[in-house]
Amino acid sequence: MSTPTISTKHATPSAGTGGVTFLRVLNSEAIKFRTLMSTKLLLVLTFVAIVGIGLLSALVRWNFINQMVEVGRQGHKESVQQAVDSFPPGSGFSLYNLPNAGLNIGILVLGSLAVLFIASEYATGMIRSTMNAAPGRLSTFGAKAVVLVVVSYVLSVVAGTVTFLLASPMFANFGLDLGWNTDGVLYSVFTGGLYVAGVALIGLSLGTLLKNSAGGITVLVGIMFVLPFAGQFLSLAPGEFWKYVPQYLPSEAGGRFLSIGHVDGTLDPWAGGLVFLGYVILFMVPALIALKKRDV
Amino acid sequence: MIEATGLRKVYGAKTAVDGISFTVQPGKVTGFLGPNGAGKSTTMRMIMGLDRPTSGDVIVNGRHYSQHKAPLHQVGALLDAKAVHTSRSAYNHLRAMAATHGIPNSRVAEVIEMTGLTAVAKKKAGGFSLGMGQRLGIANALLGDPQTLILDEPVNGLDPEGVQWVRNLARYLASQGKTIFISSHLMSEMAQTADHLIVIGRGRIIADTTVEALIESQSRKRTLVRTAETTRLSELLARDGVRVEQNERETLEVYGVEPLRIAELALDNRVLVYELTPLTSSLEEAYFQLTKDEVEYHSHITGGPAAPGGPLNGSPAVGATSAATMEGIQS
Repeated sequence: MSTPTISTKHATPSAGTGGVTFLRVLNSEAIKFRTLMSTKLLLVLTFVAIVGIGLLSALVRWNFINQMVEVGRQGHKESVQQAVDSFPPGSGFSLYNLPNAGLNIGILVLGSLAVLFIASEYATGMIRSTMNAAPGRLSTFGAKAVVLVVVSYVLSVVAGTVTFLLASPMFANFGLDLGWNTDGVLYSVFTGGLYVAGVALIGLSLGTLLKNSAGGITVLVGIMFVLPFAGQFLSLAPGEFWKYVPQYLPSEAGGRFLSIGHVDGTLDPWAGGLVFLGYVILFMVPALIALKKRDV
Repeated sequence: MIEATGLRKVYGAKTAVDGISFTVQPGKVTGFLGPNGAGKSTTMRMIMGLDRPTSGDVIVNGRHYSQHKAPLHQVGALLDAKAVHTSRSAYNHLRAMAATHGIPNSRVAEVIEMTGLTAVAKKKAGGFSLGMGQRLGIANALLGDPQTLILDEPVNGLDPEGVQWVRNLARYLASQGKTIFISSHLMSEMAQTADHLIVIGRGRIIADTTVEALIESQSRKRTLVRTAETTRLSELLARDGVRVEQNERETLEVYGVEPLRIAELALDNRVLVYELTPLTSSLEEAYFQLTKDEVEYHSHITGGPAAPGGPLNGSPAVGATSAATMEGIQS
């Protein structure tokens, strides 16, 4: 902090002359993501939670099949295959869906983390430094989006894989052929990652729009976890029309994307995926416009 | 170089900046002075492209800030010492900011050393004192070795050594031909740092001039006279059409007459004078004089005539109290 320090240090052009590029902003956002202790801790806990809840939920399924086989329904014992087939189709309860058994906790935590990734910058004032360094603004959103998509996709896929590796041997005693080549297993691992990445993008958009962590997380939880309940009540309303509405909710359409096969009266998996993608875009576009137009 | 033309910003019903035009020249330290709420920070945010002007325009080094390919090399800004994530260390914050321009980590280490943050660089920025936060903000502004430096109240919360360091840094960078734009509500600080002053009040520019010219234009030469016979001397002086004020017992302030003439008059009339002191306005007083009608948030705690915005009292002692009150309220 003395004058000589200023003169000697400042004489050297050590700062370089490089300009802002998307890759550099991406690097900056990756550094930001890595350098928060709370984030790293949260990712580890999320991994543990996805696998842990996945195993618990696998245990519930094992118990259900076991009951059907040992005790049976209305005094009538069922075969293992009958029990497995009695899972309602497309409900995410099938055995091929085991990798995603704990996915909901991942959606909750990674979605919230995405809200925080930008809303905490608004809360702390960091956003002003960020927008000074990259005044194009949209590149920052894009870089944050890439970081979140990569992190949530990789974490979900790895956690799903580990869940399946640990859970599938549980069902060996039923003589079921449950492995990586079972229909839908690999599909659900990879689509599970996409689904969580999509939720993270919705979270990032909400954080940008609301500039507020608590508000953004509340809205996200409302959309992903409360709306489905509202949808169930809605389907009880008189008239055929209301029965078809709930499947278009983000969580229902996204959930359908994770399962395989056609089920009458619900969206096909690819259609569910497209509807969910539509929701992601629906949230991202206003967020990008607001970010560009609004005062920081 | 910063060029603003008809810059205006309206928030709802409130006009924060009311169509101001000014130019900040390179090679000089330009002070941006004004009471709280005068529009200083809003103007600086518009320069940095954080807030969009309602109308008018401002360009830095020939372009809008956001149109520069390497904005951090063009303009470094300290707008808000709290523009840092509280849970991230100072070093990591600077590293993330530097990464946007491919500025090497060696430069990050340099600005940390320059600003005296070495000892706390790995600690969370949220735990920093106001002064440390300011130093981090200044380090952030210096990262790109910018051509133009914009500092919003940089000495707020700094220790005397830090204040002097900022002053030296500003003067040094200006001598290197860089554009330095510093806002403050402390005239005394600006008097020692700035070459040129832009004074703003209620969103309008009140003065755009050199430090010397500002004092000259606002100064009111007067003489402090102490005598037991204040009434008589007042009458004698009033005969010459001279303005005289009495603020304390046995003390007069006489405007517009040389001390010699007062002494002669007293001698001729056998009035005993036991003190005769010429007073010149300080820059602080010139500033109060200039902004007294423009202060948005009046402080009435002192109650006396010295409250900013009240009738200006010439007595240096009272003037100082008033300055202290203002600082106390504003910081």
